[in-house]
Amino acid sequence: MKFAIALFSAAHAPSSRRALLFAQAAVAGGHEIVRLFFYQDGVYNASDSVVTPQDELDLPKQWRAFVSEHQLDGVVCIAAALRRGVLNEEEAGRYQRQAVAVSAPWELSGLGQLHDAVQDADRLICFGGA
Amino acid sequence: MAKSLLIITRQSPWSGPGAREALDIVLAGGAFDLPIGLLFLDDGVFQLAAKQDARALQQKDLSANLQALPMFGVEELFVCADSAAQRGLDPSGLSLEEARALTATEITALIDRYDQVITL
Amino acid sequence: MSTLHVLSHSPFGDDRLTSCLRLIGTDDALLLSGDAVYALQPGSAPFNALDARRLNLFVLDEDARARAIIVPDWAKTIDYPAFVELSINHDKVNSWL
Repeated sequence: MKFAIALFSAAHAPSSRRALLFAQAAVAGGHEIVRLFFYQDGVYNASDSVVTPQDELDLPKQWRAFVSEHQLDGVVCIAAALRRGVLNEEEAGRYQRQAVAVSAPWELSGLGQLHDAVQDADRLICFGGA
Repeated sequence: MAKSLLIITRQSPWSGPGAREALDIVLAGGAFDLPIGLLFLDDGVFQLAAKQDARALQQKDLSANLQALPMFGVEELFVCADSAAQRGLDPSGLSLEEARALTATEITALIDRYDQVITL
Repeated sequence: MSTLHVLSHSPFGDDRLTSCLRLIGTDDALLLSGDAVYALQPGSAPFNALDARRLNLFVLDEDARARAIIVPDWAKTIDYPAFVELSINHDKVNSWL
């Protein structure tokens, strides 16, 4: 089965951890993840700037490792990211901002990528809220 | 044949970016000529209340974008009749004339008809 | 056609469960995750409502355990692999974000 997984909540939200565990179970079960799409506060999961205490779960780090290991397509909605100050080098340069918070494997792109994933996948599953 | 996507918007217009970000998904889908539906449910029906004034909160007017939906090819617009009634809103007095008021049973069938759904 | 509905908010002071129960179809399933498992708090109105409805009800095991919620026999606890299977067994997933 092909899954599109969309995440709407920040890294510290329990729903974000559930999204990662679901994604890991899907891959372990032999399924394909066509795209991970981060929207609304979900963009914070792609931030390099998040600092997690040593004795807590570092979700941005775990997402990055998961996406890299399985060579997944990790897309962050650019409009949602800009609004929340999660900029990559290109956008930081464009808007003359100091902080670069997003780097590879994450890609900033538009909502068209979400729609594309919905068309391609057999199942769309969204995580967020709480 | 393109998969259809139903967006269910439950956020009130001025509680944060939720209402706008739901609408952005719909507009993007319309721009790509995809079959998109939009249902206003729970506090989402407040997005359709008449005579709102976004400028009072220094916000952009959401209703202008909502009125533009048919121009983006999004004509499948629905409002939950129960949600409107519970909130003292008359479905016939809402700002989006094209939005059809649906009963709970009709909404169950509506969700069934679409290939995918996002409730935000 | 059937939908897997997923809730993750506490039912107390939130209308997602109420709205979901108004719209859920007879072939649909409901997964309680996160704080939504508090709906199985015995003696509460949500518990009574779910007990009366007898839906295809699933509960994410880790969330019930974390909250010391005892899952009644009319609901089924699942882990993540089972969550993945559940999402495949229904035609679509409707998460109430």
